[in-house]
Amino acid sequence: MTQTLDVGEGFSRFDSSHAKAAPTSTEQSSAKLGTFAITFGIAFPLLYTVYERLNWPLFTYHPVLGNLDFWRQSAGVGPPMFWYGWIVLAAASAFVVAGIATIVSGHWLRRATVYFCVLAVLWPAALTGLRIFIVDWATFDADFLNSVWVAAIPAFVGAAVVTYYVSARLADRLWTSWLLIVPIGGLVVLGYSLLQPWFLR
Amino acid sequence: MSIIFSFIREDTFWSILLFVHFLLAVGLLAAVTLQAVAVLMPARQMAGGFVDRNPMPAASYATLIAVVYVLQALMGAWIYIKYRTYVRIPMEELRRFWTVGSFEFKEHVVTMGLGLLPAYWYFWQQPASAEHAGVRRWVTIFLALCVWYSFLVGHVANDFRGVGS
Repeated sequence: MTQTLDVGEGFSRFDSSHAKAAPTSTEQSSAKLGTFAITFGIAFPLLYTVYERLNWPLFTYHPVLGNLDFWRQSAGVGPPMFWYGWIVLAAASAFVVAGIATIVSGHWLRRATVYFCVLAVLWPAALTGLRIFIVDWATFDADFLNSVWVAAIPAFVGAAVVTYYVSARLADRLWTSWLLIVPIGGLVVLGYSLLQPWFLR
Repeated sequence: MSIIFSFIREDTFWSILLFVHFLLAVGLLAAVTLQAVAVLMPARQMAGGFVDRNPMPAASYATLIAVVYVLQALMGAWIYIKYRTYVRIPMEELRRFWTVGSFEFKEHVVTMGLGLLPAYWYFWQQPASAEHAGVRRWVTIFLALCVWYSFLVGHVANDFRGVGS
């Protein structure tokens, strides 16, 4: 019920003299692959959630007719299906983002990840805050504030401030944790959006 | 599709497809559950350079799980066409809103799992590395939960209108 462990081989990987040696092309390729995979794993659920919420499918499929139309098309004969379009657009975008990540330095990549993840939280929060302000608080006609682009201003500034104050060490430690934080956060947002139409009906 | 339907009845074709989807789901469920259990109960280091053997070789399953997960997602996406017109509309008419909502959420759960697959596969390429041990464990557990949720909700939808219902 037991098996031997090649201790010498196992520990040689962590040997400091080996670790400090210049990385070989295989190690560099592996590191790039890792960067690509991790960035894709963070970007894909984030973008999928955004595209689903904004209803931005790359294409619409009409199952009754068997037709495929570019971008978002309203119901014709039978129900339109957007899910495929969201996935394909999110996958294509995340692929590009992950590709860019492989040519950016690790330090900037981790900072950028913090920035965009914080932005993803602050932008809809700012828009919701603005809408509450317009309805409940404003004493003048504040309808011009009801815009995603107005909400973008505090969101971009807030994300920049948060990213500035996050230490390099924390950004480094957080990086792989985003792989769980982003999909779980995305599922919370998407699940919440289903409450009214289905679960509280 | 019309070529296929000239050989086989349309209902039979979709039933076969759904059954294959179910068989693959059982296989995926077994593999990912065993792997999740393996990461939750890692091999113990014992005296004299020996380790307890894990219940299964967790690393060797990673590629298989990733491939089957993608196959399942593609198959589910294909069957989803039939679900959208033949199953969901009567579900809504019968006011089975919880079932519809749970299935809608399943789409998102499967998609999130799909996005994590490259990272999951990458982390399992060096299963002995301590560098990503924590995230490897939680990504594997997240994937297992995705598969379990999808399996259960898919089973409920199948009971409404599917194979043997």
